[in-house]
Amino acid sequence: MFAATKVLRAAHAERVPMIKFIGKRSLPSSVDHTPHAHPASPSHELPSDFSQKSSASFSSYRQKAQQHGPLGRANASADGSLGSVSGHSLGSVAPVKGEYFDRNELPARFRRQPIDLSEIDAIETGGATLVC
Amino acid sequence: MLRSLLVPRAAARSAFKKSSSLPAVIAPSSIARWSRRGYATEAEEKDLVIIGGGVAGYVAAIKAGQEGMKVTCIEKRGTLGGTCLNVGCIPSKALLNNSHLYHQILHDTKARGIDVGDVKLNLAQMMKSKDTAVSGLTKGVEFLFKKNGVEYVKGTASFAGEHEIKVNLTEGGEKTIIGKNILIATGSEATPFPGLEIDEKRIITSTGAIALDKVPESMVVIGGGIIGLEMGSVWSRLGSKVTVVEFLGQIGGPGMDAEISKAAQKILKKQGIDFKLNTKVLGGDATGDKIKLEVEAAKGGKKETLDADVVLVAIGRRPYTAGLGLENVGLETDEKGRLVIDHEFRTKLPHIRVVGDCTFGPMLAHKAEEEAVAVVEWIKKGYGHVNYGAIPSVMYTHPEVAWVGQNEQEVKASGVEYKIGTFPFSANSRAKTNLDTEGFVKMIADAKTDRILGIHIIGPNAGEMIAEGTLALEYGASTEDIGRTSHAHPTLAEAFKEAAMATYGKAIHF
Repeated sequence: MFAATKVLRAAHAERVPMIKFIGKRSLPSSVDHTPHAHPASPSHELPSDFSQKSSASFSSYRQKAQQHGPLGRANASADGSLGSVSGHSLGSVAPVKGEYFDRNELPARFRRQPIDLSEIDAIETGGATLVC
Repeated sequence: MLRSLLVPRAAARSAFKKSSSLPAVIAPSSIARWSRRGYATEAEEKDLVIIGGGVAGYVAAIKAGQEGMKVTCIEKRGTLGGTCLNVGCIPSKALLNNSHLYHQILHDTKARGIDVGDVKLNLAQMMKSKDTAVSGLTKGVEFLFKKNGVEYVKGTASFAGEHEIKVNLTEGGEKTIIGKNILIATGSEATPFPGLEIDEKRIITSTGAIALDKVPESMVVIGGGIIGLEMGSVWSRLGSKVTVVEFLGQIGGPGMDAEISKAAQKILKKQGIDFKLNTKVLGGDATGDKIKLEVEAAKGGKKETLDADVVLVAIGRRPYTAGLGLENVGLETDEKGRLVIDHEFRTKLPHIRVVGDCTFGPMLAHKAEEEAVAVVEWIKKGYGHVNYGAIPSVMYTHPEVAWVGQNEQEVKASGVEYKIGTFPFSANSRAKTNLDTEGFVKMIADAKTDRILGIHIIGPNAGEMIAEGTLALEYGASTEDIGRTSHAHPTLAEAFKEAAMATYGKAIHF
């Protein structure tokens, strides 16, 4: 019986599958994180602006940073975008005499907010509905 | 007035959040309500904000939750699962399966010893059954979100800044979410056909094709790719006269092996679908009772007019990024509308990544799932894995068509010496017992090393069988590795083993 097992084992050993167990998967010890073209990219290359660091310098950061409009003012006259020129240079925002702004013409954040029922209750009861 | 005092600037006010000194008699629930109303909370910064709750987005969200990240997923549809679960893979498979059963009961029972009586189609019930499958699965994803701590926001997202996402909430109002990392997974939409206005009733995309309220007498499918053939099959089985118009010389799209494509066309033709290959559609007129489509040979030729009750536009899909406010952060798309990314799915703003249909690669749900897991691993662990060379494709017609790796045309063009092995289902015992013997398995291997280069199957259950081929390809197996692996008898999978044997040697049963 022992001999038969040996023969079977020997026969099995003749066949070595190409797939071999090489151990548990592990993360590579070093990974190159510099941008490379995506493997499914049809052009097999990245656009040139990928290689630029997003914040290489403060001035380049200011060129593209946004806070209520772009911070950079270099192209102020070219694009005329909000925030790219000083408010003072835009002139007065006051309406001319006889003209009035409707609140609903203002940006959304300045408009009246809808009042819900619980808020009306709170006002009418002096806040009592909030504590009962 | 009161409310207007309470609304943002959240950040500026957050410093005062704890200054409330309410009387001790106030109930705790009221304190919470009061503080919520009195002092707007600072927008919480999330580890990952995902735009899109389709297959790519929801899988990434669950994976991120499992990795312990604080994650928000924003979806505007109202249900999770995206195109795949709501109007794509899932509902179409429900219809394909049930229409196949109907067709089989009508035409394929006598030889099996089953006498059936009066068989009627109840289309409304068939659609309801489809909807039940869809709603069950989409709700299942919501449950998984809760289980994995994913915040689900219903609304339309757009970039307000590089880390700031503005959401127009479905229930009304706005919300701003800050993300250390942002993932765009907004998917794709059906490409419209110029000159034909989609109304989803008579001129439809795949979305309309899964929701028709009656079986049209005639249907013309523009585009002989997978979506067109699947939906054409459904309505053909239910009684429509279906004609497929394809610009290219083969059906199934350019990825399908030419030999398999020819076999598929022959079988579908036998099932009653007409094909007009190498034919272009010049335009259409939907003003009359019937839609009139003008077509001519792709290389020029005699014009012809096709009449149809319904026209299905299935010429492909295009990335969907409209309304995202990409211009606010300086992101651009390529000529096909895809967001450009690097090998770690990063855009040129490295904390904004993209996966799924709206970027490179095939528009397949399982490809998006792979990417979703990989992108979270890139963020969390600094390493991820997707093998684009081993992504299977399946066409769920009957018989199914499935493939992975390179087709014969591609291998030939690459100049690699190759060998081919095939095995027909007509020689497979299980296919014989099932009286379902159309199709074959085809394997392509490197002539020198025997390493598998591509596997192509047309036949029953091909979509399930291709998993074995994908695993073999992923592991870099040889055809002999498969041929020497025991496959249960009697199974359709034995055809797979025998095709492998035919590649490196000879099949036993053919």
